[in-house]
Amino acid sequence: MKKYWIVFQQSFQNEFVYRLNFILWRFRNVLRILMTYFLWHSVFSSNSNVFGYSKEQMMAYVFLVLLVTSFVMSAPSNDNVGGEISNGTLNNFLVKPISYLSYWLTRDWASKLLNMLFAVFEFSLLWFLFKPQIYFSQSPTQLLLGIFLTIISALIYFVITKLAISVAFWTPENTWGFMFIILVFMDVLAGSIFPLDLLPKSVMTFLQFTPFPYMIYYPIAILVGRVDLITALKILLQSMAMLGFWYYVVMKVWKKGLKNYAAVGI
Amino acid sequence: MSSIISVSKLKKYYKVHQKEPGLGGSIRSLFKRKYYDVKAVDGVSFTIEEGELIGFIGPNGAGKTTTLKVLSGLLYPTSGEVSVLGYTPWDRKPAFQKQFSLVMGQKNQLWWDLPAIESFILNKEIYEVPNEQYKKTLDELVELLEVQDVLKVQVRKLSLGQRMKMELIAALIHSPKILFLDEPTIGLDVVMQKKMRDFIKEYNKRYNATVILTSHYMDDVKELCKRIIIIDKGKILFDGALDEIIKKFANHKLLTVVFSKKVDKEDLNDIGVVKEFEFPKAIISVKRASASLAASELLQNFPVADLNIEEPQIEDIIREVFTGRDLA
Repeated sequence: MKKYWIVFQQSFQNEFVYRLNFILWRFRNVLRILMTYFLWHSVFSSNSNVFGYSKEQMMAYVFLVLLVTSFVMSAPSNDNVGGEISNGTLNNFLVKPISYLSYWLTRDWASKLLNMLFAVFEFSLLWFLFKPQIYFSQSPTQLLLGIFLTIISALIYFVITKLAISVAFWTPENTWGFMFIILVFMDVLAGSIFPLDLLPKSVMTFLQFTPFPYMIYYPIAILVGRVDLITALKILLQSMAMLGFWYYVVMKVWKKGLKNYAAVGI
Repeated sequence: MSSIISVSKLKKYYKVHQKEPGLGGSIRSLFKRKYYDVKAVDGVSFTIEEGELIGFIGPNGAGKTTTLKVLSGLLYPTSGEVSVLGYTPWDRKPAFQKQFSLVMGQKNQLWWDLPAIESFILNKEIYEVPNEQYKKTLDELVELLEVQDVLKVQVRKLSLGQRMKMELIAALIHSPKILFLDEPTIGLDVVMQKKMRDFIKEYNKRYNATVILTSHYMDDVKELCKRIIIIDKGKILFDGALDEIIKKFANHKLLTVVFSKKVDKEDLNDIGVVKEFEFPKAIISVKRASASLAASELLQNFPVADLNIEEPQIEDIIREVFTGRDLA
């Protein structure tokens, strides 16, 4: 597995080449958090309790979105895989004893690590500036469960986006179509803009059968103690089933796609 | 010697959709698409022995690259049997993949933003090359290709020629037994083309590696390959030694004449097909069998200062084979 370790290291080096890009990307994340922060700040200025959330819990949610999205949604594979399928760069991997999906998964994790390092720094800076009152779960077990779920969330995110991108095997011209739809869904339904339990209960019941709430909402809900330990365990099991199911689907689809792959250029 | 590649009745058809020109056509194609089959490879058979250096030649879209892609396991064939080193290529077994390399002149495998040496290190790990062997191979290749001083330069800052050399090193770091080269000299200047050819020749000799290359440049093939396979429209037109082509396809010879006095071009048409006429020189194509008769006629009836009977150029023969025209 040393090859993936090398891929990991080189991905890191590669990110450093695009320093400005990276810094601006981080800046965008901080801006987003600031906007949601001020939005909720003004909501809570006239109410002390909104949709069952106290100010401390909501602020904790907002701040955790920064950390969790940095981890779950940092995925350079999203920007590259579709293009590599449609322009034939994928060929370079198919002739070698290396798995293309594992290669990109590794590169994603390198990016996640780098983004996390920055997110922690930004998190501390924002904390220092705004000194928000934050409430986290007091139970170490629950915190550990939350962290573990975040890792699974990142894998679910990877699998779902790779499924969306596999459309490139059949229509290389339309790589981004599905991705856009999925990304819009993710923005809202994953919970990076507001906590999902603000939605009507029936919607939430339905959503738990989709992969979206597992990406951002559930990990944070566990970390801030919105759910009890039993529910947290139940969510963890559901998320693993979700990952297993979509992993199976994406492998099937990729196998079919590779068979159909015309390897570009006669 | 034993055959390490055998291909029998290989076919690869693509379904391609056809779009009428213009915006109207684009809109129509949203609702109804017309598909047609492209017979990229249409019943091809051949075997290749270990250590051979073979050239695939043919016009664009002849099926050369498709054949290479099937041999390297990128494409699943429509029908036919293929065995490379005893493996079925499209099973993509790691044990098979460790024994060959595919280099495509127009695709690069190097990390664009990092120095080439990083990609070599990655390939070393991907192919699980032992340290000692890696060092030895790298040193040899770097020396052969003279790239010591640019190993640590970002790939994006290399010239095309330097990059192609790096691509070759990356492809050879695991000492493959078979090397598939798709247009290895495309876009390179003549000096660099020559260097590339010398390298390929040397590599083939030194390691007894089997090399199969496709190219549009006849010079590549003429200089490198003892055996060539000519493909057109998915079918093999010829498979054999380079000189055999002349025997098989050239049914004419060329008379190059230099006249001492003005002659009328029209009069030369009785001798054969006038391919070039610029006083005092003319090139006339005549049937092979009647070459000497035509020459003596020329000598008798025209003011000839100099006369040569030559075999036609190999490029011309191949062009005639492809276009189906007979110039004699």
